[in-house]
Amino acid sequence: MGLHTLRLATAPMTFSTFSSRLFLKPFPNTLLSLFPRHVQPRKPFLVRAFSASSAVQDIPATQASDSSAARPQWKAAIDFKWIRDNKEAIEINIKNRNSNANLEAVLELYENMINLQKEVEGLREERNNVAKKMKGKLEPSERQKLVEEGKNLKESLVTLEEDLVKLRDELQLVAQSIPNMTHPDVPVGGEDSSAIRKEDHLQLGKDLDLIDFDSAAEVSGSKFFYLKNEAVLLEMALLNWTLSEVMKKGFTPLTTPEIVRSSIVEKCGFQPRGDNTQVYSIDGTDQCLIGTAEIPIGGIHMDSILLESALPLKYIAFSHCFRTEAGAAGAATKGLYRVHQFSKAEMFVLCRPEDSETFHDELIQIEEDLFTSLGLHFKTLDMATADLGAPAYRKFDIEAWMPGLGRFGEISSASNCTDYQSRRLGIRYRPSEPLQADSKKGKMNLPAPKFVHTLNATACAVPRMMVCLLENYQQEDGSVVIPEPLRPFMGGIELIKPKLR
Amino acid sequence: MGLHTLRLATAPMTFSTFSSRLFLKPFPNTLLSLFPRHVQPRKPFLVRAFSASSAVQDIPATQASDSSAARPQWKAAIDFKWIRDNKEAIEINIKNRNSNANLEAVLELYENMINLQKEVEGLREERNNVAKKMKGKLEPSERQKLVEEGKNLKESLVTLEEDLVKLRDELQLVAQSIPNMTHPDVPVGGEDSSAIRKEFGSPREFHFPIKDHLQLGKDLDLIDFDSAAEVSGSKFFYLKNEAVLLEMALLNWTLSEVMKKGFTPLTTPEIVRSSIVEKCGFQPRGDNTQVYSIDGTDQCLIGTAEIPIGGIHMDSILLESALPLKYIAFSHCFRTEAGAAGAATKGLYRVHQFSKAEMFVLCRPEDSETFHDELIQIEEDLFTSLGLHFKTLDMATADLGAPAYRKFDIEAWMPGLGRFGEISSASNCTDYQSRRLGIRYRPSEPLQADSKKGKMNLPAPKFVHTLNATACAVPRMMVCLLENYQQEDGSVVIPEPLRPFMGGIELIKPKLR
Repeated sequence: MGLHTLRLATAPMTFSTFSSRLFLKPFPNTLLSLFPRHVQPRKPFLVRAFSASSAVQDIPATQASDSSAARPQWKAAIDFKWIRDNKEAIEINIKNRNSNANLEAVLELYENMINLQKEVEGLREERNNVAKKMKGKLEPSERQKLVEEGKNLKESLVTLEEDLVKLRDELQLVAQSIPNMTHPDVPVGGEDSSAIRKEDHLQLGKDLDLIDFDSAAEVSGSKFFYLKNEAVLLEMALLNWTLSEVMKKGFTPLTTPEIVRSSIVEKCGFQPRGDNTQVYSIDGTDQCLIGTAEIPIGGIHMDSILLESALPLKYIAFSHCFRTEAGAAGAATKGLYRVHQFSKAEMFVLCRPEDSETFHDELIQIEEDLFTSLGLHFKTLDMATADLGAPAYRKFDIEAWMPGLGRFGEISSASNCTDYQSRRLGIRYRPSEPLQADSKKGKMNLPAPKFVHTLNATACAVPRMMVCLLENYQQEDGSVVIPEPLRPFMGGIELIKPKLR
Repeated sequence: MGLHTLRLATAPMTFSTFSSRLFLKPFPNTLLSLFPRHVQPRKPFLVRAFSASSAVQDIPATQASDSSAARPQWKAAIDFKWIRDNKEAIEINIKNRNSNANLEAVLELYENMINLQKEVEGLREERNNVAKKMKGKLEPSERQKLVEEGKNLKESLVTLEEDLVKLRDELQLVAQSIPNMTHPDVPVGGEDSSAIRKEFGSPREFHFPIKDHLQLGKDLDLIDFDSAAEVSGSKFFYLKNEAVLLEMALLNWTLSEVMKKGFTPLTTPEIVRSSIVEKCGFQPRGDNTQVYSIDGTDQCLIGTAEIPIGGIHMDSILLESALPLKYIAFSHCFRTEAGAAGAATKGLYRVHQFSKAEMFVLCRPEDSETFHDELIQIEEDLFTSLGLHFKTLDMATADLGAPAYRKFDIEAWMPGLGRFGEISSASNCTDYQSRRLGIRYRPSEPLQADSKKGKMNLPAPKFVHTLNATACAVPRMMVCLLENYQQEDGSVVIPEPLRPFMGGIELIKPKLR
């Protein structure tokens, strides 16, 4: 046995285990991750509305070695050997991302586990030897000695095997929170923030009887709202138009559950139970509300091996999204800019590793085309390391000019998560390469399954789009012009006019 | 003071109190409700997916008089005097509806409260007299006696006033669970007693073996329940491909049709405070509740847009000229479907999350029956346009939810399931919800001169009537469309009205594999 088996053993239990030694290719730097460093005090994370960021939890070394620590509910398929062999690069990445992941603990636990594994194997071998000896002819006293020895070995083995299980669990728990590696072109550093201030969308919403925050505050609480009149038509038009545009690019339309099991949320890289969690939980269940359709889409193909010919899978999904926005105090919160519930069209791609950068470009291109068609002024940003969520290898955000708020505001986010999510969700594909002859066993072997890469990108986040459209298209007389592409989807309406009172 | 003030005192605290004696008209039988009867063991309620039914909670008499009982979080504006004057009719109504409400307890608590109120008023008068006497010239011994008396009276008063508050709270709690009165034409009895008002269309004859919507959904790659079971649990699903377009088309078409009838489009929050859910007549915390609650908050997920729409105008007095208010609202709806075991649960027929377009009307009391007819007419027109075969039912008393004065359900033929299934429900809740949500309007009648005070008085605000009706419940509609419009070759025809809203698609064809 050895390290290859070790790696397979950490894969989700439903995967068949077989030797992949002949086909193990070294994974490029970009694929694998999860390496900790010294424990540091927790730094607050900027939670961005549409990125896959998550609050990385600091797991202190003492907790990791506490034998009564909780078992991980699911296992990510982590390549620990690669971690060990690349620990310097990984340390730098963690530092750049302001992550609290603990590389030292992982390396230590890994070494301990390797050694314990060797011990266990050694004991098993001894036990086999004893059993073999007992098959031959023996003096009764010799036999008795062997029986004793066998018994002792068995007891030691049971104890060590239990320890091994515990060690593996601890290793998982610590290692899961290590963020993805980073594309070499991503700028290092934090976010610069600046701010400035005209008719904003709230005033337009009131004057044109489009948005009601006041009633919603009574009925539900702050950051909830009703849309009325043309704003409802505008939401429908935005979603319908986005759907038809993205479908033309070969994306499959989808609607998704908005209640999911919390383990799915975690596997996508979010933290349902952390402090300042963005995630609403349902009372009395292990279920949560989704903050983005990325989560239930990720879940569709979990624990699966897809055919290479099935890739890429490209989805455009509609859902309502729910976010607590806890910890957003001080960040921009005005009106529709930050709300607890909103409609969103989300693009999601599953592809081969070698294709993910191409698809990342395709996704951002689609977004740029959509927003250009709507006549918005915007900039596309390559987000710096401290602003990437744990799953994202690289993230492009689009910020559009919102004249009423007097600044640029994020309207979309496109992330390449490489294999971070797929290693947790257990999504792999079987390459269609020619079969390899296995001369030892005299048969053909299937190529080993590989983890897919996943990407997600916002096609349309309705409230932010509404801020842009209302504020950019307002007229002096208080009316708002509807951009041309949306008019056919709104029954031809060209203008939202002030209503006679 | 008197009973009028008493009634006003039970209204939400934000209302201004003023004498309405001159303008109080007797409310018709149809308006007021909430009368209990003898405590009975709880009967399970049939929780129907689209009606405003709620599991009425049995509040035992012992609990009502327990001084540590919880305070009601909010108060319904209940007319207790009317209850007392009409108790026979109310008892019969409770019985017909299989309600567990406790009329006797309410009447008893009410009498106690009246008497206690009188006692309190008496004590207050005495105390005023003592205070008056103390203003005059007195011997020191006389003064001392009066001071003692005043002190005693004050202590007794404080105790009695505390008791009065408790009594009012208990009365509220018991009275809130009394169901609405019932329209005289509603058939009395259980589900089998519901009357058919009208039938439309006829069942299609199939000359080939037909599939149910689940099979069609699989074969045409439209619906995925299996992945959803892993990701979320049973009764969740993904829609794919043309089914997504079909959902959008159904909602878009419904919106445009209903807007033509003068309804204002709306989208609503899907998370609301639990008190709003209760005020609409649902029970978020009962056994077998239909309502999902959010961990660590007093918030819930809505099971229907009726709830947040009801909340828009709560604690308000509207102008009569603003009525009627007619809304068509889209939302996702979330239901636990606990207690639905044994009921039909297959596929899209019973799910935890679905899209729905809901009509909601606020109007004057004298107009609610007319609007009830209008709402059911709109529904019948919509479903006829889609070519469905269906019947409209006048639901029997045991099938009405607590808020509904009268309820029309539409059941459509679902050939794959081999039976009729409910696709919509239209309820007239009269003033049941408005008394809880505090929604009133000020009539525009001419001002009345108050000769005593030499000024004009505004007419007293009255409670509006509220109605709600399903315009389109997407999964149920999808069952109907898929099963009725299937072809022998496995494709499904799209009804004409929906095609323009689906980019002209006329047919959902099996995909090449």
